[in-house]
This record gives sequence, structure tokens and C-alpha cells, in this order.
Amino acid sequence: MQGYVRVYSRNADGTSGGGAGDGEGTIVYYGCAGPIGEWTQRIASLQPTIDQSVATMYGRLPGANNGNSNAAGGAGVASSHERIKIGFCTDLDKSVLVNNFEKRGWNQVNGDDDWHFYWAGVQTCRNIFSVDSGYRMHDNQMINHFPNHYELSRKDLLVKNIKRYRKDLERDGNPLAEKTESNNSSGTRYLYLDFVPTTFVLPADYNMFVEEYRKFPLSTWIMKPCGKSQGAGIFLINKLSKLKKWSREAKGPFHPQIAKESYVISRYIDNPLLIGGKKFDLRLYVLVASFRPLKAYLFKLGFCRFCTVKYDTSVTELDNMYVHLTNVSVQKHGGEYNTLHGGKWSVQNLALYLEGTRGKEVTDRLFGAISWLIVHSLRAVAPVMASDRHCFECYGYDIIIDNALKPWLVEVNASPSLTSTTVNDRILKYKLIDNILSVVLPPDGVPDVRWNKVPTADAMGNFELLIDEELAAQDEAQSNSNTSSHHAKSSRMSSRWK
Amino acid sequence: MEELQDSSIHHMTAKLIAAIKNTKCYEPIYNELQRLVASPSVDKNDMRNTLEDAIKAAGLETEIRNMIFNLVRSRLKKIEVPDARLTPKSSQSDPLSYLKRAGVLWDRRVRKSLNAMCGELKVPLHGQPRISADREDFIAKWNELSNYNMDLANYRPVYAPKDLLEVLLSLKGPSRPNENNDQIPQWEFSHIALPVKNLFELRTHYADLLRNDPYGVHDLAVQCQRILDSKLAPMCQQYLKKGATPAPYRGALWAAVLDSKLHDFDIENWQKLRNSVWTTDHIVDKLVFKDIQLTASNDDQYFVFEDVLYQVLLCFSRDTEIANCVEYETFPVKGKTYEGPPSGVVPFHGICMFAAPFCYLFDSPVSLYYTFRAFYIRYCHRLTTINTHPQGIVSLCLLFEKLLQTYEPQLWSHFRELQIQPLRVVFKWLMRGFSGHLPPDQLLVLWDLILGFDSLEILPLFAIIILSFRKDSIMQVSSLDSIEAILADLSSIKVLPLVQLALSRD
Repeated sequence: MQGYVRVYSRNADGTSGGGAGDGEGTIVYYGCAGPIGEWTQRIASLQPTIDQSVATMYGRLPGANNGNSNAAGGAGVASSHERIKIGFCTDLDKSVLVNNFEKRGWNQVNGDDDWHFYWAGVQTCRNIFSVDSGYRMHDNQMINHFPNHYELSRKDLLVKNIKRYRKDLERDGNPLAEKTESNNSSGTRYLYLDFVPTTFVLPADYNMFVEEYRKFPLSTWIMKPCGKSQGAGIFLINKLSKLKKWSREAKGPFHPQIAKESYVISRYIDNPLLIGGKKFDLRLYVLVASFRPLKAYLFKLGFCRFCTVKYDTSVTELDNMYVHLTNVSVQKHGGEYNTLHGGKWSVQNLALYLEGTRGKEVTDRLFGAISWLIVHSLRAVAPVMASDRHCFECYGYDIIIDNALKPWLVEVNASPSLTSTTVNDRILKYKLIDNILSVVLPPDGVPDVRWNKVPTADAMGNFELLIDEELAAQDEAQSNSNTSSHHAKSSRMSSRWK
Repeated sequence: MEELQDSSIHHMTAKLIAAIKNTKCYEPIYNELQRLVASPSVDKNDMRNTLEDAIKAAGLETEIRNMIFNLVRSRLKKIEVPDARLTPKSSQSDPLSYLKRAGVLWDRRVRKSLNAMCGELKVPLHGQPRISADREDFIAKWNELSNYNMDLANYRPVYAPKDLLEVLLSLKGPSRPNENNDQIPQWEFSHIALPVKNLFELRTHYADLLRNDPYGVHDLAVQCQRILDSKLAPMCQQYLKKGATPAPYRGALWAAVLDSKLHDFDIENWQKLRNSVWTTDHIVDKLVFKDIQLTASNDDQYFVFEDVLYQVLLCFSRDTEIANCVEYETFPVKGKTYEGPPSGVVPFHGICMFAAPFCYLFDSPVSLYYTFRAFYIRYCHRLTTINTHPQGIVSLCLLFEKLLQTYEPQLWSHFRELQIQPLRVVFKWLMRGFSGHLPPDQLLVLWDLILGFDSLEILPLFAIIILSFRKDSIMQVSSLDSIEAILADLSSIKVLPLVQLALSRD
């Protein structure tokens, strides 16, 4: 259980590996962990009421030990559940899901029946949680989405939440929000929280975008529709005139759908890390078992998705999306898509390659920075998330690494594809689902929201703990009584990604 | 006695000096030495001591030591093998003459097949100048050769592991009594009179693997850095024996052990090789492309390095130094001789997998090239030629069979009942040194052990270990396909603990 301190014990700025950053991170962390109850309450007041059952979460202090109830009730629960035949329900007819459920001896039931575990599409989930449905889940039911996951998965809302998170920290004088002069003297950037490329929502922020655009007239921008995924509707822009032209056309009668949609425009990472001359992005799986307190796990078996075509920034290639987009759904249509590996390369291999060719220190720093980025993107949305106890969610994080080995968060997908493109992909996704189930379910395998959600080391499988605010708070309480062990613990690194 | 020893040392020294003079490093070292002699730090009144100090201070001493270490190593290895050229008359009585003959015939067959392919496709074996449009296209796409288009439909690998296996399985020695043929399945190697180690001898050879290391993981890296700073090849080699090489140091350690650190003349030579690829179109280019497309490009561990591998293997095919460095066994066999490619190495199905693991160690194709080449010259070529070397593929197969028979008799008889040659299920592992079969992180550990213990014997040993590890499953099935299915996925195999366990077990 040491893993949860790792994020805070390393350096976030990606520039110096010294001890100063470490110390700072640790201080900040424990600074936050103390008054976390107060924090959640303040956040709760900002929160629109979405679901009745959510309200019961707000008053709950993370320090309050519900581990007791579990430990005491463990045996009783197990025996009383012996008769329970677990019913699962899924909207997605994916074999990796069904095989996993059936392996556990579960029965497939209809959504109208009494289900215990629902692997739902986002729409079904929204319906279940909608006030109109009047559906109220009981304690032995779990579902795979949070009702308002779009706070994280919609490109515009993610950026909005991160911007607000940074402002809040800044207002509170939190050292995490420290800023530094940008190297091109045209403003400041956050020292530790600069992990999303500069982004604006169009048409709303059009003027702000133009202002930014004028500062960096040579950079390329990428336009993405807020609501779409898998690379649909994405294009690159390197001239303001092109954007104007697009906007004129969008207003025209031929594209009524574009006019309604909002877009985000982000600075395009035009210096990506290339391996074998090819561009790639990372797809990592992050499991959130709870947002308040935040309990998040990182799946160690992520992968890199490679473009099939050599990276080329020349203007002529600007419209060749195979060069720029790494989405499998885009690459699949390219002529050179390989069905044996599907352009997917494991994160373990990436780590091995980087250690072998760049050294251990930079590799550790990169993977540390990735964990940091994930944790803070989650903290940014935690206050606005309806942290329903019945919910867990597995997010697909898309991250691009630039040639200075700095990771950038591109987007978060709340329904990462469970389609298998290759044999290894199938093995990976099967493991992913299996490990998700064993992390979110109590040891007896019966969904139970009263469980304290502290999986055993065995149950974690290929997941590693990114953060558990509840455990962190307990640790904090302990180390207050025993200050000597504090430093030793916080400086301990968790296992590498292997 | 002392006198004899003394003269033998003199003899050795003379030989070594002669050998050193033939190396490429001689000139730069000699020039450096001349510069030192003329430098103010060398006093002509105390020449011996001051020059020695100056040589040490300049780091020249380490370089010379490493050079001698490598020369002695390759010379000693040569002595182990009875040289056929020295005893041509005794070839009739040599019990291994049929093996040497088979080696020559195999090599001839491979070359003949390449020549036949040239004839069929009407391309000259020596290559032809690239037409200028093609040359420009080729140069422009040098860094992205996966985008270089050509028609490879008519090209196929000259041979695959299976072909070599068939030849090996059909090896017949004169000593083999014919009357037993009815009772014994015709697939045993044991009649071959090559000496191979038994498990006890292997334990002695790999004893360092079982030694408890008092250092923690953190200390390993520090220790490793110190050893690298010392630049001493024997120490680097000793370090690799732990099987726990930190990834960031592996490339440097391997280069030190294989004496493949880059010199200026190496870079020049690389450019020459590259120019040769740019200007001439050779049939082996097509075979290299074909091979990479069939193997590395489809491999989810290595596909990202496709373009680097094209460069490395194309230059490899032009490198005439390889033919000079590899010691092929000769044996007088009548018949036509065929020419091969400039490197003397006819590309076969999977040759690029020898180079692929190096992509995890080196970013630049040049450094990758020289370390890979040195590794090929030292080890890999023995896996694709039929030879009597104690680390040749024949000896390794024999070692595999003897170990299986002695230490896994149950498996042995299971295979025998099923009439399946056990070698069939492991041969592709042996011939590729497990590359493409083990995940890269584990493969590199296995290759650390090859380098550290300077022996390919770890390959058959490890093949046995895997069979033994999956014995229970193998015992339950009864067809070659099912056995191969059980052994297909090695992604969960961890090299070091398994080898240690096997060696320590009584």
C-alpha cells in the first residue's frame, strides 16, 4: 500500500530532478490531505444536485473508517450472499465482457430485471440516473459510468474544469499553482499544472483564440468537435484565414450540423517524440472507483498507437490525417494498416526502449509526469463529479509525448473501445476487464456499495494505485502521531511500469 | 620447464603483436603512441617509466588490454576446434568428416538456391547500378524505407529454420549401425560424436549465476557505471553474468564486451556501405526487404523499428568484412562452388530478428550496426551453418537432446511415443536465439547471459527449462500442433529465475 504516495514524491516540472521539487510536492500533498473533508463540503455547495443518492456522499468524511464495517461484516456478508446469483447486464455485446462475467458464474439478465452489475453504454447510464426514470439502485448494484462523466470526457468541459482547478488552487495560494515566465516571453505558464495544450472553445472563445494565435503566428492548431470521438471531424489549421473560411462555410446552408456543434481548438503538439521516425500516442486505462474521496488506479498494460505513415510537418501533408492522427479507427483505413499488430506497441516496450536509449532518470521522470497528469486531471473534475457509490468508471487516457519527453493530455474517453484488433489486444482487454472487476468488487465478488473500496494487492492485478485520498488521509493521521516515519514513506517510489 | 613457458610466452607475444598489427585499431594507437613519445611528459632519460605512465594516463593501456583480451579470446576459441585445414590427410578417418561435408554441402545448397533465383528472375548476382531515378528515390526514402515501393511478389526467403532442421535431422553418421533403423525412430542426434556438456558441467560453467549478490538494486547501477568508466572488457563481461543488467547500461556493456565501440573509421565504413546500397541494386536487398516484411514488420515487439532494420540489414549485406571475420569450416568436397552476396551471408527467413533486439539498445543505426555485427560474427552465424564447433547448431541440438533425455525422461518418452522429434518444437527458438519468441526485456537478459558466459549453450538449456516448466500441459496432449500451441506464448516466461532454479535444483 505504499503506491498512493508516489505521485507526490516526484518532480512535476519535468526539468530538474533535484530534491526541491520532491519536497514541495510532498508538502502540498499533505497540505491538501488534511482539510479534505472541508474541501469536499465546499465543493459540494458548488455542485448542482443531480441525484438524491449522491447527496449522502457529501457529508462523508474520507477519514471516517468504514473499513470496520466491512471487516466486521465481511464474513456475514459472504454467507448471506451465498444464495445470491449475480445477474449482469450489458449493452455491449463484447466477448471480453461477457466472457469475464460468465467466468465469474454470473447470469445475464435484462435491464428491467434485478441486475447486480450493469456494463452500460453512456446513454443507458444517463437514463438510469435521470430523475424521470425514478430508478433507485440498491446497495448490491454497480454500474460502469458516473452520471456526469462528460465533465472529464468532453473536450471542452475537461479544459474548462482544468482551468478552473488551476485558478482555484492559485486563489488559495497553493504552491502547486506556481507560475513561471514562459520561454517565449508572451505570458506565463503553470509550472506544475501545464499538461494540456493551450485550448479554446469555439465559437465562444474566438476572440481569445485570435489573441493567442497572433502571439504564435507560426504554430499549427488542431480543431476537434467537442462531442465526437475516434478522430471524427478533426482537422489542422495553420492560417487564420483557413479558420475564417471554415467558419463561413459552417454557417452556410450545406453544413447545418457543424453550425450547431461547438469545437475546441488546441495548440497542435508539432514536436512529438518519434520512434522509428513515426508518431504515436499513448492509450492508458485509468480506473476510478470513487471521486470523493478520489480512488484511482492505473492499468500498467497500456499501449502506444503508431501512425502508419512517417511523420512529416510539411504543409502538403497537413491534410493527410494518417500522418497526424493515431486513432486506430483512423489508421485502420490507411493502406498500410497491419492487422497483426494493429500499430500497437506496449508501454513496457516503450519504457524498455527509453531506458536503453535515453537513460533511467528521464524515463522515470516521464512516467512520473504521466501519473501526475492523470491524478491532477481527476482532481480537477472530482468536485463536479457526482460521486455515486454505485459507480466506477474506466477511462481511456490519450496522451502525446513531445520530443522533450513531456507528456500532454489530449483527451479522455469514458467508453474506451473494447473491440479487439489483434490477438494481444484481446488478451489485454480481457485482462483489463478482469482486473477492473476484481478492483471494484469486494473480496467475495458481490457488488456492495458499503465496501470500503480498498482492494488487496492480489486483487489489483495489473493495476497500480495512483491515488487513494482516503488511505492518504489515514496515513497522514498516522504520520502525525509518528512523524519520523513520514519522510521515509513519502519518498518511497512505487514499482516501475513493468 | 620455465624455459619452455618463457619461450611459449614469447611465442604468444609475437603472435599477438602480429595480430594487433593487422587490426584496424593499430594505426590510430600507433599514431597516438608516437604523439606521446614526443610529448613533454616523456623523459628520454627515463623512457620506460615515463612512457608507461603516459600510456596509462592517456587511457591507451586499457585499450591495449582490451585488444589483447579480445584477441586471446578469439584465438583460444579457435584452438578448441580441431582445424580441418591443418589435417587434410586425416579427413577420411575423422569421425566428424561427414558433418563437415554436410556443412559444405548445406552452404553450397543455399548459395546455389540464391544463384538459381538470380537466374530465374534474370538479375545478376553481383548486382547492378541503380538507375538514377531509383537511386534518388532510394536516397530520399533512406530514413523511411517502409515507404519505398517495389514488387517483391517473386521473391521468397532462400531458406527457413524448417529447411535447416530437415537437413540436420537427416544427418547420418558412418558410425551409426544400420540394423537398428527399424526399432529406433530415426531422429536422434546421439550418434553424433561431438562432446557436449552435461548438467553438472553446465552448472560449473554457469556457477556465477547462482552466487548471491550482496549488492542491492541501487548499488547495481552504481557498480555498473564504475565498471563502464574503467572501460575494461573482462569486467564488463563479468558484470553481464549477473543477468540483472540495468537497461540503461546494456548497450554500453555489450559494445565493450563485443569490442564494437565506434571509431572514426567505423563511421566512414558505414557511410561507404550505405553508398554501396544507394548505388547498386542487389538481389539480397529484395531478400532483406522481404524478410523484414515477413517478420519484424509484423511483430508487435519490433514493428516500430522497421525502418532502422532496413538500413542495418542492407548495409550488413554489403559488408565484406563479415566474410573475413567469420571462420567457416572447410572441407574438400568436389563439385561446383557458388558465389554468395558480398557479406557471404545469404539472408534467410528471420535473419533480421538477430538485429531487432539491438533496436532497444541503440538509437543510432551506426552504433546498432557495429554491435549487432560483432554479435553476429561471434555467435549468430553458428546457428545457421552446419559445423562442428562446440557452440554450433549441431552441438546445441545434441546438447538439447541429451539434456532432455537425461533430465526429463518422462517428456522424452512422451515425445517418443508420439513419434514427434522434440527438436521440432524448439528448433526455431534455437536458430533465432529466442529472438521474436521471448518478449524483448527477457530476451535481452538471455542475451546478456550469452555474452557474459560467452556461450550459446544457454539456448538449449533454456529450451529444456521451458519444456520442463510446461511439462504438465505437454504431457496431457498428444499432437505436434497442441504441443506447439502450449509453447507458442512465452510472454509470461522470466529468464533469470527459471535459469537459476534449473541450475540450483538437485
